[in-house]
Amino acid sequence: MDEEATMFLAFTGLFYLIGFSILRDLGHGALGMLAALLLLLGFALVLVLNWADFILFPIVTRMLGVTFQPAANYKINTSQDAIIKEVNGIYYATGFVTANLFSYIFKLEGYEAATEEDRITKAPEIWERAVMSINFPFKYHVFGVGLDVQKIRDELEGKRSYQEFQLSRAIQGNANEVTITDIQRKINAIQAKIDMISGGEKPLATLMYIETTAIGVSEKAALDALATQINTLQIAFGGFDVDLMRVVGRELYTLFKFDFSLPTSFGEAAAHFDQQQ
Amino acid sequence: MQTKFLVFIAFLAIAFVLLAVAASLPSKGFFIVLKFIVLILAIFSSILAFASRFYTYLIVPLIQQHSRHIVLSNENAYWLSTTNDAILSKDGQDFIASIIISIPLYTSSTEMSPEEKNAFAKQVGRLVSTTGYPMRVTAQLYVMNKDLYIQQLREKISLMENQEATLTQSNAPSKEINKVHGALAMWKKMLDNISKETSFEMSTFAMISARGSKEYEALNIVHQKAMEIMSGISSTLGISPSIVVGNDILKFIEPEFLMPYSTVSEQITKNIQEEVI
Repeated sequence: MDEEATMFLAFTGLFYLIGFSILRDLGHGALGMLAALLLLLGFALVLVLNWADFILFPIVTRMLGVTFQPAANYKINTSQDAIIKEVNGIYYATGFVTANLFSYIFKLEGYEAATEEDRITKAPEIWERAVMSINFPFKYHVFGVGLDVQKIRDELEGKRSYQEFQLSRAIQGNANEVTITDIQRKINAIQAKIDMISGGEKPLATLMYIETTAIGVSEKAALDALATQINTLQIAFGGFDVDLMRVVGRELYTLFKFDFSLPTSFGEAAAHFDQQQ
Repeated sequence: MQTKFLVFIAFLAIAFVLLAVAASLPSKGFFIVLKFIVLILAIFSSILAFASRFYTYLIVPLIQQHSRHIVLSNENAYWLSTTNDAILSKDGQDFIASIIISIPLYTSSTEMSPEEKNAFAKQVGRLVSTTGYPMRVTAQLYVMNKDLYIQQLREKISLMENQEATLTQSNAPSKEINKVHGALAMWKKMLDNISKETSFEMSTFAMISARGSKEYEALNIVHQKAMEIMSGISSTLGISPSIVVGNDILKFIEPEFLMPYSTVSEQITKNIQEEVI
């Protein structure tokens, strides 16, 4: 959780803390219990909003039947998972899915260097196979922003030192071979990252997602076609072993805006990176 | 202060006031009902306060508009710059100019050795990190525009049909009628075939944005960034990227340009016919 989230949660939590501390003034006996129940329910909703607003928000908009117009000629549906545009009686429904390839390409700490190379070599082939199996329009976006080289290097060196400390403890404590090998592998992986930076490669923060558009003669037809397309994408990109999660709510709105203007600085972009781990 | 903090403070203040009112109301008779209504409103207000962290852009219009269809913006999402090579949008008082850079990549993994595949995958990785600026690289699969050709075929068919009708009415020799009939069948079959198979194109492009207090300021900055990125791409991949201009920009941002109108209408008609059959 970042500082802003902590601040929002702390002040909202304060409301509930005060609520519980004046519970006697809110009612005695059964009434007091009812008041406590309401306060607990409210706080639970706040916690859900903090960690899983993408579940709660579409439920509310679907229940109330609320739609949004993010710009002229565009509409966000009640489920908050598609952007609809109508042109000459044809409906175009656009949806987004996360497709973070980092787990495929850069999961260094989990794989041997040889496996890593092998996976990178196979990537173009898997990509071509995936594209050939798709017969509808889609866009694969990689949004990246350069990070502070020195800061990342320092962080990696800190991580390496920690792992080295773990290794010396494991050796002194006569830990089994598997544990020692595992720690050594982690150290090698971190060292590989440090070497990459030393070799001139820039550390990046990235956001990867797929955008696809479906057509239909009605809004429902377009949305149904979009759901089918997203399922197809999930199968097609199965080779990359990525989780393709449908983007909903505020993230959908953010990605819609990305089609016309991108964040212009790291500070502006950083706010979006906590959304995709 | 950012709007979301103001909204947060406002709702939280309302929540505290309502909680105080609820606590001060006597716990008897009609006041019990009133007390709980005020308490529920206080909790609801605290939830709204917390939700303002993510949803200020919705909460304010929701309160102002009292409608199920909430208009966040009535303006177009963007407009084309006078230089014809960038799109502009507004964010508060600032202008954001965005440029799309076409990256002509025509390599296939089937022609590559494992070493080449590895090198290519790494090159693509480096492509994203050519600059420290926030940048988005996209691979886009879209339907080839056969509108013009389909239109020509339709015109030809309509011409042939007229000719056939004229010949039949004027009792022309059957040889001539058969000739026109044959040509008509050929063009119809061609139209049928061309719209049966959807042809796809794949393009890679990068997008970059810059902010300025004036349109020309944003445009100047984004042009500078684009030049820097283009030289980076050129040296990384050994290709000549170019800035996308005019209507070609629409192909990368508007959903209807992913699927040209004639192709789409042919496809929909065919789908409906198939469903009827």
